[in-house]
Amino acid sequence: MTDSPSPTKTIPAAPGFFSSGLRIFDLSLSEMLWSRRTIFMMLVVGAPVLIALILRILVALGAPIFESQRTQNGVSQTIRMTGPAIFGLMIWVFYLRFTVPVLGVFYGTSLMADEVEDKTITYLFTRPISRGAVLFGKYLAYLACTIFVVLPSVMIVYLLVVPMQGSLGGSFIDLLKDLSLLALGLAVYGAVFAFVGAKFKRPLLVGLIFIFGWEQAALAFPGYLKKFTVAYYLQGLVPHAMPNDSTLSLIQGIFRESPSLGSALVSLAAILVVFVALAAWIVERREYVLEQ
Amino acid sequence: MTKKTRYFLAGSAAVLAAGLGTGLVAYYTGGFQPVSASAVANELRYVPANASVVAYADVRAIMDSDLRARLKQAMPMHEKGQQEFQAQTGIDIERDIDYIVASLSSGLDKPAPLVVARGRFNDTQLEGFVREHGGTVEDYKGKRLIVSPTNMHGDVPVATGSVTLAFLEPGLIAIGDTAAVKTSIDAQLAAHSITSNNEMMELVTDIGQNSNAWAVGRFDVLAAQARLPEQVSSRLPQIKWFAAAGHVNGGLSGSLRAEARDDQSAENLRDVVRGLLGLARLQAQADPRTAGLIESLQLTGTGKTVALAFTVPAEVLQLIPKAAEAEK
Repeated sequence: MTDSPSPTKTIPAAPGFFSSGLRIFDLSLSEMLWSRRTIFMMLVVGAPVLIALILRILVALGAPIFESQRTQNGVSQTIRMTGPAIFGLMIWVFYLRFTVPVLGVFYGTSLMADEVEDKTITYLFTRPISRGAVLFGKYLAYLACTIFVVLPSVMIVYLLVVPMQGSLGGSFIDLLKDLSLLALGLAVYGAVFAFVGAKFKRPLLVGLIFIFGWEQAALAFPGYLKKFTVAYYLQGLVPHAMPNDSTLSLIQGIFRESPSLGSALVSLAAILVVFVALAAWIVERREYVLEQ
Repeated sequence: MTKKTRYFLAGSAAVLAAGLGTGLVAYYTGGFQPVSASAVANELRYVPANASVVAYADVRAIMDSDLRARLKQAMPMHEKGQQEFQAQTGIDIERDIDYIVASLSSGLDKPAPLVVARGRFNDTQLEGFVREHGGTVEDYKGKRLIVSPTNMHGDVPVATGSVTLAFLEPGLIAIGDTAAVKTSIDAQLAAHSITSNNEMMELVTDIGQNSNAWAVGRFDVLAAQARLPEQVSSRLPQIKWFAAAGHVNGGLSGSLRAEARDDQSAENLRDVVRGLLGLARLQAQADPRTAGLIESLQLTGTGKTVALAFTVPAEVLQLIPKAAEAEK
């Protein structure tokens, strides 16, 4: 008697880098969105909305908050700010200077750290997908998570603030620039802090030192040091995104040493690509030891 | 992805889409303007974005005002001319025109004036009138244009260009240089009107409040278009924007505002105005009738802004008929 040969079972090919990344994205998005960090994120993006709402109510009640009169040398002076100018200022102060870097540091540094802390990284790394795709998928989840929270908040602020002595239609192009600028900022800061999260042992501390220490100091000092910050290139785009308003000329004057629009965009794109690639490369090679 | 996450993403996307949609509609229609004269928001969409001057007059309110009644009483108008105009065009200036928006845009070789009027017009009679004078009818992007002959406008020869009457919407007509009328239609269709000029709209919003006539414009552009001799243009005040507004009723109140190029130019202009005010006050001492008017003049402004407000009380205006009678 001869045994009939058993049918061979073909092993399906491992998914490619991008399809693996998308699977990780799908898996990580809910986890990231409903984490404790989201409460913090809601507070951060909710504050400007609340301020805009209060401003709108005060203006509706007739409070002269955008105008003030004073007399100097016998000449009465009127200081006036318009809705588009206030909106531009809020984008710069609340979002670009605070929300974007802070969300970048809190979410970006936790992309791999959370899996290590929860001791679930083994489940991901035993899958037939490259480790770099895991980081890439988590980075995409970070982008979706932050963009879908921050941009609607900006939109509500726009609808509340701009109509006060301003025109929604006239400020629409500025809104598009602002939204693009914030999305770009989230992407670049996320890439930098994904690298920090992958490389350093205490990534949150390193990230906070970077945004509140290094970036602030480097921007304040004259010289070439500011070129080693993300804020330098990101804020270089602010004069292009802000409405033309004499009230904002003072703020725009701060960015006199800004790079050109083209060089700022190229530099930000380069930072994004280089740091995502570096983070993926480090994750591919790093040996993660889980504490027992 | 969980159902909760899907709902959250859909909600966020809906907020984004609603905001972007609202902004897009506002951008294309030029709408959602917080202009006090919101009645003109639609008409402003026909004013090209490069207009150097925009002016508005609530013709109906001015015609119905006590001031005009007094002026009419003191200085009878040429009613025969008005009647002839009405017989030919069917337009009763006193009743049929609600308000007008006028603008002056930078043309290729000369400024292109345009007047957009809202009111009740007999389109057939207007068209017939222009045709009688040799006008031709053409269609431009769905709007009916009546173009007067190129070289003659009535009996008056026109050097270049021609005058065109366009029926923009029911009850809305435009009259002006052919190129200006076509640019105006393009501006409305492409949503590239003055409403997208934030700087100009802020001034319009500001100056248009409680005024039934106003004008806002770029002084430097007008000065450049005037092609003044170097000796004259170099002595002109360094003003970028100007705005004038008035409210006509029993009395007359108004304000003039100028935005200088820099603080120093504004200070110089304020000094000149202060000097003129001082001179006027000296003169007014001899004429008590004008003292009230001079006293009402108020110079304000800060930084680059210089503003002058005035009020002509009804009591002063009541003197006009008396003065006219005395002259007779």
